[in-house]
Amino acid sequence: MTDYEALVAKILEKAPYAEGEVRRERRIEFRISPDRIRDFLKLLKDNGFELLLQITAVDWPDRGEIELIYQVFSITHRTHTFVRTAIPRDNSVVPTVMDIYPVAETYERDAHEFFQVVFEGNPKLEMPWILEEEDKEAGLSYRKDFDMLGYVKRKYKILDRFDEDKGTYVI
Amino acid sequence: MDWKLWEPLIEFARKRSLWIVSFCTGCGGIEMPPLMTSRYDLERFGMMPNPAPRMADLFLITGYVTPKTLKRIIITYEMQPDPKYVIAHGSCTINGGIYWDAYNAIKRLDAYIPVDVYIAGCMPRPESVMEGINKMMEMIENGTADSWKRYKENYEWYKKNQDELFGEGWREKEARRWIPWIMDDLKRAEKEREKND
Repeated sequence: MTDYEALVAKILEKAPYAEGEVRRERRIEFRISPDRIRDFLKLLKDNGFELLLQITAVDWPDRGEIELIYQVFSITHRTHTFVRTAIPRDNSVVPTVMDIYPVAETYERDAHEFFQVVFEGNPKLEMPWILEEEDKEAGLSYRKDFDMLGYVKRKYKILDRFDEDKGTYVI
Repeated sequence: MDWKLWEPLIEFARKRSLWIVSFCTGCGGIEMPPLMTSRYDLERFGMMPNPAPRMADLFLITGYVTPKTLKRIIITYEMQPDPKYVIAHGSCTINGGIYWDAYNAIKRLDAYIPVDVYIAGCMPRPESVMEGINKMMEMIENGTADSWKRYKENYEWYKKNQDELFGEGWREKEARRWIPWIMDDLKRAEKEREKND
């Protein structure tokens, strides 16, 4: 079995700018600042973390930041890795990792469309993806300050039965 | 010759030879294999899945419908020859189901294309789908399955609803949407070919 503590220590030795911990067996986690994301993922890839599984974004309005989580899987070390980084909400720009993990192109387009995160260097960000034109024009977003239910009511012209009793929604 | 005399015979034939468009839009698509295979065996009713909408009678809408698939559904529906029947599976087609607050699921399928039989459930079991098909056959026999007539009579209303959701001229717009990107790819491929030569 892999010694996860030793693995994290080995990575942290090469990347002193990162923080890392073992969450449990087969789950390790790193926190870094967004400007070092490319260096860090390159380092991970050189050390046997072969697959990028997903890039997820989480919106934290109270902290004023968007958290990006790069989920990297390692077949060599048999572990799932979370690389967390936080970027400011009003200026959400982060360098692309497309050239390190080619699959990142897809997930970056996804995060761009739903959280308006700009990945500098990804040429396909503006290409049509999941959202329809009219959704984009309405500024649809998974950020917490977007009124999704109001938008749905307006778009599909559903009766305003939800407002009768805010506690229990009746369909 | 008065074709009215032959109507009961024709209706019986229609009822016993429903061909399905296999346009599996949502999760209900996974209910089709058990229906078609030996356990529930739909073919004993003369039904079979059919690759082309031009030869189909029955349109099964299996589960949730997004605006994107709804465009294709409308086009497929209009491609079918008369008489055509629609069965809508699942609660998503009735009121949105679990996607009632999702920006990308149609809440009422009824407003965009006419529906003959609704099968409620999330997902309906193959038994309830069979029940729905039985109902459909009864309706065809007594001539109450008239959704295709309703679509013709109230076409303005359906078209108004479709245009409200998609915007005017959505058919052409949808066709043209991908052209710039396809052209870019073509140009890039051409350049690479020149480079290789």
